[in-house]
Amino acid sequence: MAIQSTTFTRSLARPNFLSALRALWAVMKREWMIFVRYPSWVISLFIWPIIFPLSYVLTARALSGRDGSGMALFQAATGVHDYIGYIAVGTTIWMWQNVVLWNVGFSLRNEQLRGTLESNWLSPTWRFAYLLGSSAPQLLSMLMFLTVSAIEFTLFLGVRFEGSLWLTLLTILVAVPSVYGLGFAFASLVITLKEANAFVFLVRGIVMIFCGITFPISILPDWMRPIANWLPQTYIIHAIRSASLSTEGLPAILGDLQALALFGIFWLTAGYLVFNWMERRARRTGAIGQY
Amino acid sequence: MGNFAIEAKQLVKKFPARAGTGDKNGAPAPQLRRQLFARKEPKTMFTAVNGVDLQIERGEIFGLLGPNGAGKSTTIRMLCTLLEPTSGTAQVNGFDIVKQATDVRRSLGTVLAGERSIYWKLTGRENLEYFAALNHIPPTVAKKRVDELISRMEIKDRANELVEKYSTGMRQRIAIAKALLARPPILLLDEPTLGLDPQAARRVRELIAELKSEGHTILLTTHYMEEADQLSDRIGIIDTGKVIALDTPESLKRCIDQQEIIRLELTGWHEEIAERLKSVAGIEHITTHQQGEADVWEVNLHAQNSRLALPRIVEHISGNGTRLVNMNIVKPSLEDVFIHLTGKALRD
Repeated sequence: MAIQSTTFTRSLARPNFLSALRALWAVMKREWMIFVRYPSWVISLFIWPIIFPLSYVLTARALSGRDGSGMALFQAATGVHDYIGYIAVGTTIWMWQNVVLWNVGFSLRNEQLRGTLESNWLSPTWRFAYLLGSSAPQLLSMLMFLTVSAIEFTLFLGVRFEGSLWLTLLTILVAVPSVYGLGFAFASLVITLKEANAFVFLVRGIVMIFCGITFPISILPDWMRPIANWLPQTYIIHAIRSASLSTEGLPAILGDLQALALFGIFWLTAGYLVFNWMERRARRTGAIGQY
Repeated sequence: MGNFAIEAKQLVKKFPARAGTGDKNGAPAPQLRRQLFARKEPKTMFTAVNGVDLQIERGEIFGLLGPNGAGKSTTIRMLCTLLEPTSGTAQVNGFDIVKQATDVRRSLGTVLAGERSIYWKLTGRENLEYFAALNHIPPTVAKKRVDELISRMEIKDRANELVEKYSTGMRQRIAIAKALLARPPILLLDEPTLGLDPQAARRVRELIAELKSEGHTILLTTHYMEEADQLSDRIGIIDTGKVIALDTPESLKRCIDQQEIIRLELTGWHEEIAERLKSVAGIEHITTHQQGEADVWEVNLHAQNSRLALPRIVEHISGNGTRLVNMNIVKPSLEDVFIHLTGKALRD
């Protein structure tokens, strides 16, 4: 028989808190390295911020008339005199959520299609770390996107960001758990559903209509407004507009930040729970190895 | 710690039987969306693994041999904690595969899906560094280990190139190196030479033999009988989710020692001849295999006594456009054992 005196029972793995952090860092680093090796990301970084809001800005310009006389009504409804900035911020937040749904939402699915999901799953690392880690570089690229957007809006669209940079950053920080928590839940469902384009279109359509990306939610029909109040993107858009475009300061966004903190707790918890549910289900059904 | 490296008792894995094609693991394709939230177990279930018992000793190479869809990969996927068994229990390195899944993964190095299990947009070295971190190997140890494996896998000159530029054999070696990073006591290798050219496959087989001599326990699945024969200390033959025979390659072949294999090569083969040959006294099994695209067929006849059967065999294949090209009486191989046990060829 094959038993040998040289057999051993212990591997080189030495798990502890630090090694768990190193694993998380390794996932982030890997995701970033792969991301930058597809050079087309640079094009989208510079083109999208200007292309997407432009169609709304030009529509608004056409509706307001050559002399801008139609703007008075818009200003009365929004309290904002810079309609271009108003639209630019709204569409940028919509793009942020959209990119998170595509990139974070499909991160596990893309690993599955590549064939690498199983080899990650085979290691003794906390499995949620793969989702968490692959989202971090995406967040970094999104911050670059927001920065480039702000610069391009200023240079090409003449938007004047008169508000506070720090309050804007604070709002983004508080908004991150809601935006990414939804992405986590989404990513987990996509592993099971395999195809989720229809869901992405549905969610971003809801955000587009209910959250007022280019118009104030006060113009929504009565039955639609309560729905808007249950969507974190409504508060994100309102808070970032207030923080970046106006000089009203913290009091103007405090309510939004509180709401976003609660939404953040809810969506991060939901994302984590859905992930765990998916992970257990995948072990039963074999969904991890299915294409 | 258990006495065995791997011990499985009555492992069963069932999947909901679904419309559409199954995946490469034998698991059925995704269910209709409405199944996602269904609480009740679907009525029809497909049994991929049906009561597998295994006891793999420390330090041995155990080959799990069977045709595609026999349940080899599903068994491996349960042992490496990717799948939960429907019933039954298994321990790997003394750890329960359900209750102590993390400890099981820490004890294992697993190669599944070969070249697709690594990142093609990373270099060979980056892949190994990444998986070393995932395996919680301390950085100083990891650095040495990565260098060591790069040398061992003979990719030193190209370790800093993207994997997408590697050959299939090189990618497979990186996949194996990935499994070896933590120097795990047990290795699960699922079809490690699948799709490799003969030279690359030979190199992988040599490597597997080296790993055994270093003290690793290896569970190897393959449908290449020569590979199982050459490498394995013991072999489990698996078919339709069950282990139908388990012994050393020599013992398995001995169980059909009383049989002789008459191997014919002929042209103009047709089913009518098969029917006639079946009527020859002493012929137990017949398998046929077309060689390439030419009209040359290999026909294997399992006979109790070839001397008695031969004249009748020659008589039956003569004429009717059939021409005998070659004929041998050969020693039984593992494939012949499989045919003897199941009545069908491994390649069927």
